[in-house]
Order: sequence, then C-alpha cells, then structure tokens
Amino acid sequence: MAIDWQAFWLTLRLAITVSAVLLALGLPIAYWIAYSRWRWKFLVEAVVALPIVLPPTVLGFYVLVALGPRSPIGRWWISLTGHTLAFTFGGLVIGSIFYSLPFAVQPFAASFAGVDRKLMAASATLGASPLRTFFRVIAPLSVPGLITGTALSFAHTMGEFGVVLMVGGNIPGVTRTVSIDIFDRVEASDYVTANATALLLLVLSFSVLAVVYGLNRKAWVVGPVK
Amino acid sequence: MSDAREVETSTSSVASPSVPQAVAPGPVLEARFHHVTPVRGREFVLDVEFRAAAGFTILFGASGAGKTTLLDCVAGLAKPESGRITVANRVLFDSEQRLSLPVAKRRVGYVFQTLALFPHFSVEQNVQYGLAHLSQAERTQRSSSILQAFRISHLARRSAREISGGESQRTALARTLVTDPEVLLLDEPLAALDAATKRKIIDDLRAWNQAHRIPILYVTHSREEVFALGERVIVLDEGRIAAQGTPHEVIDAPRQETVAQLVGVENIFDAVVEAMRPERGTMTCRIAGDGGPVILETPLVRGGVGSPMRIGIRAGDILLATAPPVGLSARNVIPGRIASLEQHDVIVSARVRTRVEMEVHITLAARDSLQLVPGKEVWLVIKTHSCHLMQS
Amino acid sequence: MEHIAKNLACVLIVACILANPAAAFAQQTKNGTELVVAAAADLSTALKEISDSFEKKTGVSLKLSFGASGALTQQIQNGAPFDLFFSADMDYPRQLITAGAADGTSLYEYAVGRLVLWVPTDSALDLDHKGLKVLLDPSVKKIAIANPQHAPYGRAAVAALKHAGIYDQVADRLVLGENVSQAAQFVESGNAEAGLVPLAHAVAPGMQGKGKYWEVRADFYPPLAQGLVILSHSQHKKEAAELVEYLKTKEAAELLRKYGFTLP
Repeated sequence: MAIDWQAFWLTLRLAITVSAVLLALGLPIAYWIAYSRWRWKFLVEAVVALPIVLPPTVLGFYVLVALGPRSPIGRWWISLTGHTLAFTFGGLVIGSIFYSLPFAVQPFAASFAGVDRKLMAASATLGASPLRTFFRVIAPLSVPGLITGTALSFAHTMGEFGVVLMVGGNIPGVTRTVSIDIFDRVEASDYVTANATALLLLVLSFSVLAVVYGLNRKAWVVGPVK
Repeated sequence: MSDAREVETSTSSVASPSVPQAVAPGPVLEARFHHVTPVRGREFVLDVEFRAAAGFTILFGASGAGKTTLLDCVAGLAKPESGRITVANRVLFDSEQRLSLPVAKRRVGYVFQTLALFPHFSVEQNVQYGLAHLSQAERTQRSSSILQAFRISHLARRSAREISGGESQRTALARTLVTDPEVLLLDEPLAALDAATKRKIIDDLRAWNQAHRIPILYVTHSREEVFALGERVIVLDEGRIAAQGTPHEVIDAPRQETVAQLVGVENIFDAVVEAMRPERGTMTCRIAGDGGPVILETPLVRGGVGSPMRIGIRAGDILLATAPPVGLSARNVIPGRIASLEQHDVIVSARVRTRVEMEVHITLAARDSLQLVPGKEVWLVIKTHSCHLMQS
Repeated sequence: MEHIAKNLACVLIVACILANPAAAFAQQTKNGTELVVAAAADLSTALKEISDSFEKKTGVSLKLSFGASGALTQQIQNGAPFDLFFSADMDYPRQLITAGAADGTSLYEYAVGRLVLWVPTDSALDLDHKGLKVLLDPSVKKIAIANPQHAPYGRAAVAALKHAGIYDQVADRLVLGENVSQAAQFVESGNAEAGLVPLAHAVAPGMQGKGKYWEVRADFYPPLAQGLVILSHSQHKKEAAELVEYLKTKEAAELLRKYGFTLP
C-alpha cells in the first residue's frame, strides 16, 4: 500500500487556489446579486446556480471541446499560454471555478442581503463611498457568510471528480487528484490503498470544515444595534 | 450653552417659552420636488415645496404622511421624479439638469429613527466614522470634544451594542454632528425615550443649534416636541404640505381640519409669568388680550416672574357654563360670549370671545340643553392642569 | 408522516434504479429476451453492428455497456448484472473465472486487437516514415493512451513505447484516458497531438477522415488477444451462448475484420 501524497498535495493546492479565486471573484457578483434591483436579476441568479444542477461532465465537455484547441476561445488561450486548457492545473482551476461558483456566491449574497440597509445608508450619509461602505460595514458584518462560502467552495473542490475525469488526463502531480487516485485504485482492485486514501481525504476535509465552522460560530455573530 | 432655563413640569409635556424668531442668518435649504412610491398596489405621491432656514424646522404629521420619504429625498437616499433641492448655493438635486449628487457628497447629516449605529464598532469608532478624511490627531480631537459635549466620553471604548437607549441616541447624534453637516435631518430621534432623557437631549440639540446655524429638519409626530423645539413647523398630510409657519400660526389660522386634528391643541397663547407660588405648585400667567389681560393659574414650572411662556389648552379640556359657576375646584373662570358654533360630527366647536378667543369643544347634547347660540354669555372653566406650558 | 414515508420510498426506489443501470435493462422486451453486455471500449463501433445483425437473425437484442476492461471487471466482481463480458484481453476474464463470477467453459478468444498511432488529419507529422519516432517531435505536447492500470490497450501502448526505446523521453507527455474511447477523444478534439488507440477506433466509419493512423508492429507489444466469458449470474445463458455461436460465423467474422480486428 502506497498512498499517493503527491495527489493529496495537488488536490489541496487546487482547493486553496479555487477558493481564493472565488473569494475575489464571488464578492462583486454576490454584491450585485444582493443589492441590484434590475428586474431581470433572476436570470443572472439562475446562471450562477446552474453548476449545482449540471453534471460535472457538462463542464468537462465544454472545457474539452467547446474551449478546446479547435474553438476560437481555445485557440486564443493557446496563443496566450502556449498550451491547451485540458491536461493542465490551470484547466482544472478554471473548470473548478465554474463548478464551485454557486457554493461561494450564494452564501456571500445571502450574507450581504442580511446586512441592515440602514447601516449602509448611514455610512453613505457620513460621506463614505460605496467601496468604503463595503469594506468597513458590509464585509465585517458578513463574515459568517464569507467564511461559509469559502469553506464550501474549498470542500466542494476537494471532492471534485467529474470535471477532473473528463479533462485532467490523469497526469501525476498535475491533474491526478485524490478522487481520481481513489477511482484508479478501485479499478485496479487495490482496495486497501483505495480505502486508506478515501479515509484520509475524509478526515482531512472533515477537520478543515470543523475548524472553519467552529471558528465561525464564536467570533463573528453580530446583529443590528437595538 | 443657551441661557434658556431648564424647565421641569409635573406633566409629561416638555415645555418651552417661545421667542419669535427673525429669519436667522446661515445657509437655507430650499426644496421642491415630486416623488412617487409604489405602496401596496397604490402609489404614494409626495409633492412638496418649502424653505428651511437655519435652525429647527419641525416636520410634523401622522404616520405615513411622508415625512421619512421627504428626508430621504433631501439626503439622496430616494430620488424624486422631478424637482430641485439646494442648500445655500449648492445644488443637491435638479431634475431638469439631470443632476443628483450622490449621498456621500451631499454633506447632509441624517439620524435615522433606528439610529443605525454600527454594531461592530465602539462608540468612539462610530463617532469617528465620518472623519476618515482628517488626520488622526484632528479626528481624535474632534471626536473627544463631541463625546464630552454629549456626556458619553466614558463610553468611548464600549461596543455600540452594549449601551442604553439614551446613550445610543446621543452616540448617533454625535456621530452625525461631528462631521459638520450643512443640513441636519433628524427622524423622530426622541421616540421611545423617557421624559428626562428627552429633555437633556433637546438641550444638547439646542446648544448645538446655537453654535452651528444650519437648517435642521426634525421629524416628529409628538405635539410636545413641536413646541419644545419648533421655530418653524411644516405640517405634512398624505404627501402634501397642509400648513407651514410658526407653531402658533400653524395652529391658529387658517384653520384646516387636518392641522387641528394633527396638533390637537387648539388654544395656544403667549403669556408672561406674573407670580410664582412654589408652596402650592402653581403660578399665574398673564395673557395679553383685547381690552385687558387674561390671568390664568397654571402648574408651576421653573422660571421667574417676567419669563415668557407659551400656554396650550385643548379645546376639549375647557368647560362651558351659562351662569357664573360657584363652588368649583377649577381655578380659572373666564367670562365671554359665544362668537360662533360649528358642528363637526358629534362635537360642537364653540368659538368664545373673551379677551382672547378660545375654542371649546362640547357635545351636541350639551349645546342643546344649554341652548347655546351665538351671542350668548358664557363662562369658561379651565382647570389649572389643563394649561400646558411650553418652553422654547 | 405518511407523506414523508411515501417521498422517502420514491427517493430510495429512484436511487436504486440509478445505482444499478443493468437492473433497469434486464427485463423481458416485448418480442424476446434482452442480453446485457459489458464490452471493452475498443468494441464500441464493431459490437453495435454485430448486435444489430444478431437481433435481426434471432430477435434477441443486446444492451451494450462500454468501458475499460479493468473497470468493467470491477463492476462485475461487485455484482453488476451483466450477461456477457467482452474484454480487451484474456486476463480479466480469467480473473472473473477464478473469482467464480464467470463460467470457465465459456471463455472464448473472439478477436485479436491491433494498436495504432493516431493523429488528427491536419497533423504535419510524418507517420509513414518515422512511425513511433514522430512522438519525439517537439510539436507533440500531449500523447493520449488509455490508462495502463486498467486498460489492456494502455498496457500495450506502454510496451510499444518501451520497445521503441522512447518511453522515458515521452513519459511526461502522456495523458491517460479512462478508457481507449476517451484517449481517442483527446486526440480527436485536438487536445492531444497524438495517441495510441485501437485500430478499431481509427477505422470506424465515424472516424474516417478525422485522422490518419499508422499500425504499430505486432511484435512491439504482447498480442491483444481479446476474450469473452458468460457470467455466472446470467439469467439468459442460452441466449448468451447463441451470441457466442454467432460470433463464430462468417458474417460476424467479416464485421470484425471490417473494424480492424484479426481473427485468432
């Protein structure tokens, strides 16, 4: 039995990268969803929520074919980076970003929407720009949602399988994530290693989530004053 | 500090002697606009035009009259369909020029009904929030001096979630006032406070008003606050201005049912304290009238002989007699003649000419049984405690 | 309460059906029996045609499931209810026989597979002159093969590369497909510049014109003797045996040859 530690390290890197990107990317999207009053906003919300219901194979398909070297976008990507989206860590990151997007954006948006509008109005009357209002009032009061969203996108990416299977190419150290490794072991009848690896992934994911949710409860619960 | 003396009354009213104000120097808020809100299927239309000079302009009206919406439009939190809002020479909003200054640039201070203190900040951090553009030193200096002025210095480090109602109100005021706004909007800031706290905060506000002469729009549906603070009153009813003027003008003439209903004190007089009787808890006031004064015995308030007072008496509190009454506990008996009688629903409104004109409300039955007609001689009976004293 | 129980029951039923695809298929059709067949991915084109003609002849229809031989073996060992298993080698069927999941007497070598080097039509690589050595060309960034861990063609590809002496140089450019179909698809979509795939894929009607191939010499890799077995738990062993007999006919042999298989 030989646990593939490289696969663990790769999966961890993937999950951290994706969560970090989604934190940056998800904030403006969530802000818009929380506060916009555009009558067609529901369409945007539906698009953001799509990855929840679509099988990962759909995303994998698009990365592989619709964004592949024969498509205009794919060709542009190759001219930019010198290689395809598929079979690269970058390709996995991009696929995972779409895959985990709603898991970040929805908790963020819910948290923002829960901030008392009067606080935002007060901030504005005191001369603060919308950006300052966001960083000094909205964000600090939304920390539980921010943490939840980030933790969820992290965990979701740790467990990702379908997209990686479709476009990863199973390259050790680059695209062979833990989930692929477990799948391989099972197919090779190496149940012992598969079991050990799966257990390890379970324990790791659980620990991270437990720490995050534990911290989340204590420090950050705030409500409107009186 | 102002040299108006503190007034303590045994009733719940907050009294003020009025001083007719000349048009005060300082920036003037001028506004006219038309704003539509869809409310539960219908549309609520706010259509107003007014001028607010430096000092207190009371915005008075029932719930739902549009007072908060009006403030929101001035602050920029709501956008009127058409109109123009200016302060001094600055244009805050002009629909024709398609100009609408963003909220953060308007320099309009706004204390909300819910206060909206930042719960994750301390009192001091709340107060310093609007001073971010200043240097650290200036920020500290300004915030500590206003904290001191509002007597909340000892709470500086306390979290905004942990202070009492009165302390919160003062913090909210301090937070807004420290930014030196050009216009101040206060939305029912004293609701849900006890009388003593209210009075203290009103004093603080008045003191501040003396020092910084800016237009202050003060929303309330409390009649007492109108008289306590009002230099000018705008009465808002269903999105329109029903009356504007001094508290006195607005209540006396031209008589509009809505205004009278809203205000509920039909008789208001300027008076001067004639004598004080602390041992009895009363004092006498002289009201200047036609062909002589009217002397009323009123509850004792702190002041001195010669202090100007304003006395308010509800029409429903005045009794009518067709013969000089004897053996009554009431201290004020004033002879007069009925000038007119008007029936409103089940109430008869009698205007009685004494040396001053008073409005009296009686029942239909009373009118009939007393056989009241215009011209009839009557005596008005007013209890000492029906005279409400107000201080400006 | 009742409502919840009903919903729960529905969910469980749906879950069971989804978890067990073969179960949904293994039913009596209107006309006759249906055989559920697990087959190596390299048969994905050939077996469909064979299935059509078999059904015309006997009225027995085939429900086909394609995948990597190793993956299918796993599923069968864990109880997947197939009637027959067409592997891409002989070892996996033997594994099943040893495990008692397949009838020992039914083992039959039905075809010999061939490995080819396959590139997209517009590729500039000179396959005919250089053969496997084209893989050393710098323009070849990714080479697709099936995962050798559970696909016989993948193992054959690795053997061929080693035999040609270029394995070490190209190892880091290998991308592994779940099965030969995925490997072929990587090449076809252009994501991999070249791939080692079954001849059956390269000559399949759908693939003609999409790429060009070069047959790897047979001595470069252990022969891909492909065997089938009838599975122990099959309820339709009679019909399964009929299919095996059909494969021995001239008709079936023609079809297999058409798709690039040679006969043992």
